[in-house]
Amino acid sequence: MTARVPRRTILAFLGPSVLALLAVGIVPLGYALWKSLHDFNLTRIARQRFVGLDNYVTVLADPVFWAAVGRTAALFVIAVPIQIALGLMIALLLHRPGLGFLKTFTRLSLVLPMATTYAVVGLLAQVTLNQKYGVFNQMLGWLGIAPINFIGDPRNAFIGVIFWDVWQWTPFVALVLLAGLSTVPPEIEEAARLETKRWWTVLRHVQLPFLIPSLVAVLILRTADTLKLFDMVFTMTRGGPGNATEFIAILIERVGNRQFDIGLASAQSVILLAITIVLARLYIRMFYREVR
Amino acid sequence: MKLKLKASALALAAALAAPQAQAWSLEEAAKPYAGTVVDVVFLDRPGYNAIKEMLPEFEAATGIKLNITTMPYENALGEQVRDFVAGGDLDLALIDLVWIGNFAENGWIVPIEEFTSNPDLADPELDIDDFFPLVLNAFGAWNGVVYGLPFDNYSGLLFYNRCMLEEAGFDRPPETWAELKDVYGPALTKNGKYAFALQSKRNETQSADSFARMLWPFGGSFLNAEFRSNLNSPESQAGLQFRQDLMAYMPPGIVAYDHAETVNALAQGDVAMITEWSAFYTTLVSPETSKVADCIEVAPEPKGPAGRKPALGGFSLAVASQADDAEKAAGWLFIQWATSKANAETYLRKGGVPARQSVYQIPGIAEEFKFVPALVESWKEGVPEFRPRFAEWPTISEIVQEWGTKMMLGEVSIEEGAREIGTRMEAVLEEAGYYSGEKPLAQ
Repeated sequence: MTARVPRRTILAFLGPSVLALLAVGIVPLGYALWKSLHDFNLTRIARQRFVGLDNYVTVLADPVFWAAVGRTAALFVIAVPIQIALGLMIALLLHRPGLGFLKTFTRLSLVLPMATTYAVVGLLAQVTLNQKYGVFNQMLGWLGIAPINFIGDPRNAFIGVIFWDVWQWTPFVALVLLAGLSTVPPEIEEAARLETKRWWTVLRHVQLPFLIPSLVAVLILRTADTLKLFDMVFTMTRGGPGNATEFIAILIERVGNRQFDIGLASAQSVILLAITIVLARLYIRMFYREVR
Repeated sequence: MKLKLKASALALAAALAAPQAQAWSLEEAAKPYAGTVVDVVFLDRPGYNAIKEMLPEFEAATGIKLNITTMPYENALGEQVRDFVAGGDLDLALIDLVWIGNFAENGWIVPIEEFTSNPDLADPELDIDDFFPLVLNAFGAWNGVVYGLPFDNYSGLLFYNRCMLEEAGFDRPPETWAELKDVYGPALTKNGKYAFALQSKRNETQSADSFARMLWPFGGSFLNAEFRSNLNSPESQAGLQFRQDLMAYMPPGIVAYDHAETVNALAQGDVAMITEWSAFYTTLVSPETSKVADCIEVAPEPKGPAGRKPALGGFSLAVASQADDAEKAAGWLFIQWATSKANAETYLRKGGVPARQSVYQIPGIAEEFKFVPALVESWKEGVPEFRPRFAEWPTISEIVQEWGTKMMLGEVSIEEGAREIGTRMEAVLEEAGYYSGEKPLAQ
């Protein structure tokens, strides 16, 4: 039935994409790997030399690196469950029948935070959280609460980053889960509702199994996003105060672009890549088995 | 340094003495380079906008075109370093005083002697001795060789709200840091207003404007004569402790204050005094950007036990080694024109701050521009190595930013923080080869 497609045609169709992928993905990765084995600082380029795994040893023994990894993990562990809980609530509300126009309007407005550029979110945060002129402190003032130092206090700045990350990405989680909910066959859902009035039971035994693939997608994408999180924090706090919001990507940028130590920054990036691959494998192993 | 300056001056004098067919003119000098495009990085600051306004005159006279890329300060170093490493397009280097060692040691910039010794390119009116010696040395020279001419020039100044001070019973600004903290601090910190704000955000602001500012007037410094950390010396510790104590009279969250927030706090009447770069004068005295424009006065930074030693910062322009010969010549003609004695007054009136001594002697200038007397005084008392200017500064600055902020937040003690910075700073210098004698102890 299926005619054999000539090899040349396959190559012609696949070739350009593979080449593009090589050019934008694999070649820079190879270059970073190569540079990570060198003492390569842009401000003393003449002294460039091969140092083997020295940069990796430095990174693995550097408490600043592990502190940044820990901070990134803390952000993920706090922000993502909040996003999933809020996202699921929104998705369940939007999944209920009725209120057609309002739901369409809500769905549209959910796209707005996601469509906002990260750097703009950071600037928005900086302006709204300003201790003296920010809208948040203005509103707290109406309630008689003294202005809070959001950006200048290490703990508050971290909370600020979590807040804005939740603001930007809860809608994404909501939309993905809403799509997941629509895959539940209506007859099964209706039958379940006839059996029980408890929404939790329906969610737990009927809807949740269908939501697993969406949740895995959310987890993988949000993990990758959190590990890469840079622009928003950079424009909001630049990793400060102190290094309260110095997440892993901010640290790598600082070492590479401000200290110009490309060798060390490359080693950090390669280690970050290894962490990402391990996490992705772990997710797939943990969750996809259930789906199958 | 002086020898080289004299050598440049002599070369210039020799060039002048040589018989010439006709007097030197910019138009004639630029003729072979008409149509040449010179690529340069500018910042979005008053001095650069002033030159941009003046630029059509230069382009009309010479036929040389300037291709300006404007970027924020934070990106300017990275962009230029990458361009020079990659052999890019930039024909001129814009050099913050702390970058000069880096640019010179890597051979990215050309000594001005290459041009001042060429009678076709050297303006007989260049008069290099007219630049404030401290400014020329700090912004444009490295290891005794002049590479760049001072272009966008700052000194730290004390800006204060005269009305707030008068209300609290003061008829003059504080003369010393101790007076600012012990007398003015308690009197001016009340009802949600604060006596002082010290910009301390974790970037170059923390290391230059906050940390270094408190070291020097108290007799401290980053390094001693052997290039070992001097941060745990009694003088440096006194300065850092003073900064900590002064925070009682600053708005909370001062570690999040960059220049904009600090200038804004004074302009809104929320703080009574700030120490800021001279370049912010225009913002503070303009009614459009300052609620208290009529109350703003300027004085030199207060003195410490070791003298005034105000913050010193600014940029020079130098010709990039990677430019071709025509671009080098055209670029030099631009630098020479932009920093010339003849253009200094226009530059000043358009918002720039020239480093020419002669312009500040013009009758009426000191009265018209209130910051002038304080600026001139500061440029007589500053220290070129206010921040070390060697290639390793960006790395050391990052260390200072991190631990300096931690000190202010009380996460580490002054002593611990200074020791951490010292150990890390020495490791950087060790690796760079200062202790093995591979590199001269120049900062």
